[in-house]
Parts: sequence; structure tokens; C-alpha cells
Amino acid sequence: MIRLPVLLLLVSVAVFTLMKLSPVDPVDAYLGPAIAHAGPEQKARIAAAWGLDRPAPEQFLRWAGHVLRGDLGHSTAYDAPVADVLRDRIGASLALTGLAWLLSGALGFALGAVAAGCGGWVDRGVRVYCYILASAPTFWLAMLMLALFSVTLGWAPICCAGPIGMPPDQVGWADRLRHLTLPLAALTLFGVAQIALHTRARMVEVLQSDFVLFARAQGATRRQIVLRHGLRNAAIPALTVMLASVGEIFGGSILAEQVFAWPGLGRATVEAGLKGDVPLLLAIALLTTLVVALGNMAAGRLHPVLNPRL
Amino acid sequence: MRITLAAILLSAHAALAAPDIVLAIGGEPETGFDPILGWGGYGNPLFQSTLLKRGPDLETQADLATDWVLSDDRLVWTLTLREGVKFSDGTALTAQDVAFTFNTAKAAAGTVDLDVMRSAEALDPRTVRIVLDRPWITFTEAFFTLGIVPRTYGPGYGRNPIGSGPYRLVSWREGEQLIVAPNPHYHGPRAPFGQITFLFTGEDTGLAAARAGQVQMVAVPAQLADAVPPGFRAVPVRTVDSRGLSLPMQGPVTGDPAIRRAMNLGLDRDLLVDVALMGHGTPAFGPADGLPWAGKDDRVDFDTEAAMDVLDAAGWTPGTDGIRARDGVRASFAVNYPAGDSTRQALAETAAELLRPLGIEATPKGGSWDAIGRVMGAEPVVFGFGSHSPYQIYSLFAERLGGVEYMNPSHYANPAVDALFEQAQGAESLDASYAAWSQAADHYGVRGDNSWLWLANLDHVYLVDDCLDIGRPGIEPHGHGWPITAGIADWRWTCE
Repeated sequence: MIRLPVLLLLVSVAVFTLMKLSPVDPVDAYLGPAIAHAGPEQKARIAAAWGLDRPAPEQFLRWAGHVLRGDLGHSTAYDAPVADVLRDRIGASLALTGLAWLLSGALGFALGAVAAGCGGWVDRGVRVYCYILASAPTFWLAMLMLALFSVTLGWAPICCAGPIGMPPDQVGWADRLRHLTLPLAALTLFGVAQIALHTRARMVEVLQSDFVLFARAQGATRRQIVLRHGLRNAAIPALTVMLASVGEIFGGSILAEQVFAWPGLGRATVEAGLKGDVPLLLAIALLTTLVVALGNMAAGRLHPVLNPRL
Repeated sequence: MRITLAAILLSAHAALAAPDIVLAIGGEPETGFDPILGWGGYGNPLFQSTLLKRGPDLETQADLATDWVLSDDRLVWTLTLREGVKFSDGTALTAQDVAFTFNTAKAAAGTVDLDVMRSAEALDPRTVRIVLDRPWITFTEAFFTLGIVPRTYGPGYGRNPIGSGPYRLVSWREGEQLIVAPNPHYHGPRAPFGQITFLFTGEDTGLAAARAGQVQMVAVPAQLADAVPPGFRAVPVRTVDSRGLSLPMQGPVTGDPAIRRAMNLGLDRDLLVDVALMGHGTPAFGPADGLPWAGKDDRVDFDTEAAMDVLDAAGWTPGTDGIRARDGVRASFAVNYPAGDSTRQALAETAAELLRPLGIEATPKGGSWDAIGRVMGAEPVVFGFGSHSPYQIYSLFAERLGGVEYMNPSHYANPAVDALFEQAQGAESLDASYAAWSQAADHYGVRGDNSWLWLANLDHVYLVDDCLDIGRPGIEPHGHGWPITAGIADWRWTCE
């Protein structure tokens, strides 16, 4: 249990150090074009207001002290408390990432099982499909889908979480779903490949094992074997991969959100990086670390429960 | 039945009179719509109004202030406010709010630099007095750009702005869209639109939305300016969004007056605009071309022969590789540009090719601003400028700002220019200061020290729905997109 706090500490030190080493000057980034008429006194005042005039280790300790007291600090890029910035965006991100994660898990598992179960050209087809998806970057996939379904065919909305010109509180459920479809599809397709390939590999292994040979000798059909033995055995690596892929889906969502102008954490992450917004980037990094670490821990806990041999 | 019919007719009429429009012109401020933090520096602050405003020809017009007087010692501004102005929440806007805004902006760690201001105070509900440390006519820039906020201003204002501008905020979904509606308490003419949506989704999405008929105006980069969707027209807007090459005075090559003169004479700027900007720009000769404070005849005709003569006379003789040299110094230098900026890269590379026939070797070099910052005192850099204030001239050529941040990066110093600047800053009004600013160009410009090699002013291209009349856009500053809203009060919908 001590491992999680240590991990969080290491990640925050690493992110903080990298940000401090990066050439981005947060004050310059904040000023933007106003840099042309902001004097050095003005810049010094901004730096002092953000505590950037202190030595880096002191800045880190002050930040850490605040976080331990439940205060995530102040985002310089958005000039708002980090907690507010996260709160405004996390809902949209969770809806997109969470659904994509569940769907890609279910779909990937099914695809992997079918590929191994059927064999032959179905297996080959699924494998080619997965290799292509696994090697295609999400944002590229997202751009292709946007160009095809939104611009050329006009089936899906062009952007955003709701219709253009409609305040968010007036957007109905049908509209919400319609706008969610394309980003969700892009992100799901991206997540499917890994899980499908792992499921398939495990399934093939199971189907060649001694106990399957024994079952077959007893007269079980291929279908029965897949359903009784294969699925339960393949579920373990699939679940592990799925829980471990939380980080990848989250990373993919940052890019997909940019393409579809989805108002989630993705844009905030990019903005924080470009503007040298250390508190915001640290908060997002910690959040991601927490989710990924908890995912892996859950995989570890579930393993004995699901393993038929234990 | 009759009532229903009347209601339908009425609502149809309302829809005709005040259509909703959608604009994809970027300009989303991450820190919110907070003038104290710099919102409203360009274009229309939308939610707030300013003491003064500029017309399409940059002439000064009254807005919140109806009278503004500078004392004889040029240190005290006394401004009289318009009567009966209200904030969008219905409360009255008084001199206390104006003084509060200026004092808060001075103290705040925002992007508004009011260092020269000593204090602002309300003499009575309609009179404000602002005291300066020294005569400083460019302080008036704050009158044009600092939107007045109510004294209830506090944390979170930027996301829930209250002001006396033409519009009020309906909803803002960050990174996606901003929806505004006319402010019923606005003191100016009533806005002709029912609701305006600003889409902040980037160029590609904006263009796609325009093709789908969901957007009425899109700001597009020059590369996309020729792909006009049906029902749209391309509106190129003239700008002072200038790109120029700094020529460091300490550089062994760029510090030589003959080299600087020859480059200004021998660079074919028309060809440069055609090649690097695909024609979407105009040749630049200074940082304020076309503005009242630019030099009067601050331009040269392209003349290769004359350029060669200047170099020959100064003793720069061509070597075997065609590059000139003098006393063992090759006429060669790096031209730095920020690596992420494709426009500046194109300008740097094209200019380098165009300078080569003169026997001058310019080597384009992309880098981060951090890397550029380390070498900009010694090597030329492709900079971008463009402002509606003559302070731009001051920040580029005043000796005391040499090498301060990104101001006067070439360390230009000329006592005659500094004297003219002092005269301009001590002028009785902004209009009266133009003559002195303009005269300074005789020294820093192409007829004087050739202090910079100005390259081009970028055109800002907007694709506009045929039904949307945006009047005559004024000359735009640095920044493509939001500045077009400066004239938003005069926009009309012309279709039934």
C-alpha cells in the first residue's frame, strides 16, 4: 500500500523537473502578443504573484504542501483554481474515455474470441484489422473519420458536445448521444486492437492445451470448449490488458478530443504543456497515474478470483 | 387562433430582424473575459466598453468618456463620463468604477502594463482624474483597450463578465463555443443580431462547418484562402501585421550601414510576397506601414544595380563562390525563425534566396524562442509586430529598451530618434504626437539607418457568408481572427 504514494511522489517530481527544464517560460506564454509592450517590472510582478521567483525546490515543496492539504493550486494558463479547471472538464472526459474503455474491452474480447474460435480466414481478417489499428495513430484515425462521416457524408456532427449555438444546459440527450458517437467510435476502434490480440493469443494457447485435448477426447464440440474453457481462461489476460490500457485510452482521448473539439481534459492538458502551467499539468499527471495504478492494482486483485486454477 | 397566428408572425419577424450568426475566428482567451488580465487588447471587448474607441481609420471616438483633457504639464488626465451608462446587470457605471478598474489593473499581475500611472481617482460620479509619473502620450492606449469593470469585480470575473459592452455572455464552453446575446442596457445602437456564437474549434473544424453551412465567417490562413465554399466570399483585410528581419547593430555584417542599405534596396519584396505568402500580403518597409505615425516616404524602390553599387563602394568584393567579403569578413549571417511558424519559415527561406544574387549569404535557421532569445542580440531574427499604438515604434527603436525582453532586439540607438520620441511622448494629444513619431522614421527607416529589413505585411483573410455585410474593416494589428470584431457594431445581415 506504500507503493502508491511513492509512485505519485516520483511522478510529480519527474513531471515538475521536466517542466522546469523545458524551454517554455510560463510568463512569456501567458503574456502572448502582449509581450511586445510588457516591461521587465511587469514580468517580475507576474512571476512573483505565481511564486516563480522562488528556487525550484521550494516551489515544489510549497506545491506538495498545498496538495496534501487538498488544494491543487492555481492554474496559470486558465487563471482559475486547478480544481475548477478539472471539474469543468472531467465529466465530458469520463463519459468519452469510460465508455470507450468499456466498449473496446467488450468488443476486443469478443473479436479475439471469435478469431481464435473460428480460425481460418476469420482469424486472419481479424488479425490484419488489429495490426492496422494498433499501428495507426488515434488522431489520424479520428481525422479520417471526421473527414468521411462529418464533412463528406454529413452523417455526424462536425464538432463539439452539442449543437453549435446551443447553450450546454439546453442540449438534450439525443443531441448529446449524436455528438458522442463519432469520438466514441474513434476511441473504441483504437482500444479494440490490443485486447483482441491478447485474447486471441491466450485463446489459441488454451485450445492447444492438454485439458482441451482431454475435453475433446470426451466428445466436447469446439463451440463447447470455447465457451466453457476458452472464455474463462482468456478473460484473465484480457482483463489485465484492459485495466492496464486505461492509460493508453486516456492518452488517445487527449488527441481525439483535440480533433473533435470535445470539451474534456485533452485540450487542458495540451494548453498546460504549451503554457508551462505546472500546477495544472501536475494535477492531470497525478490523476492519470492514479487511474492507471488503480487499474493495475485491480487487475492484480481480480486475477486470483478469475483464475480457474486457483 | 388569431393570437397563435400573431405570435407566429411576430416570432418570424423577430427572426428576420435579428438573425443568429456563428463565427469561427478563434481568439478564445484562456484566462477568461477579464480586461484586468488583458482581455480586449485587440478587437472588440464585447462584454465591456472602453473610455475611447477607434474608428476604421484609427480616428479617436468617444465611448464611455465624452470629454478628455490632458493638463499643460502632460501629467494629469481629466475625463468626463457619458451620462446614464449601465452595466449589463442594470447597475450604474460611475467614475468610481473607472478609477477602480485602472487602479486594479495597475496592481494586478495581468498583461496590462500601467507602470507610468501614479493613481486614478473619481472626483465626482462622472469625472475621473488620472495622474502620470511623466509625460507619456502612449498611456492613452489604455483608454482604448482597458474595458471598464464594476467594483464588484473579483475572482471568477473572467468567466462571468459584467460590463457595459454591446453583448452579454449567455454561455461559454471552454475550447468549444461562446454564446453571446445583445446587452439590453447597452448605451450604443442596438445590436442587429439575436445571438452570436463564437466557435473556438480551430481552422479545420471551422472551415468544415462553413462548408456545411453552419458558420457565417471563418478566419483562414493564406494557404486555405483560395478554397472558398459556395455562398461565401473571401475578404482579405489589410494589416500592419508585419514581419521583419532585425539587423543587430553589434553584428560584424549586419552592423555595417552599407550591408543594411544594400539589403533594403536589393530585396524584391513583391516577389517575396508572391512566393512566400502566395500573394496574400503587401511589401513592408516599416513596422507601421499605412498608419498615421509611420514615416512619410519610408519606402524604397527595388533596385539591384543600386544595391550592388552600395556594396562595391563600401569595399565588399565578391569571392569565388559569389559571396562578398571585406577584410576577411564574409557577408554571411544566420536568419533565425521560430521553428513552429511556417509563415516565418517561408519568409526566411525566400528572403535568403533573394539576397544571394547580391552576394549576401543568409542561412535560415529554425529554433525555439528560448534558443532565439540567446542569439537575438547578435543574429537577425524574423520578428512579427503590428499594433494600433505608436508605442510599437517606441519599443522597437528607443535606446533605453535595447535588449529588454523582446523590445528593440537589434539594440538600435540614435540620439536624434530618442529626442523625437521624447517630443512625441510629451505631445498635447495622441493626434498631435503623430508628427514626431513619423519624423523618427527619417532616422530609423530606409532613408536613414536602415535599422531593420522589413519584409511583408500579412493579409488576414476571412471567408464570409454572402449575406453578412461586415462594412469596411479597418487596418488590422498583429493577430488574425478576433481583431475583425472591432467593427462588429456595423455588421448587418442583408438576406431575407
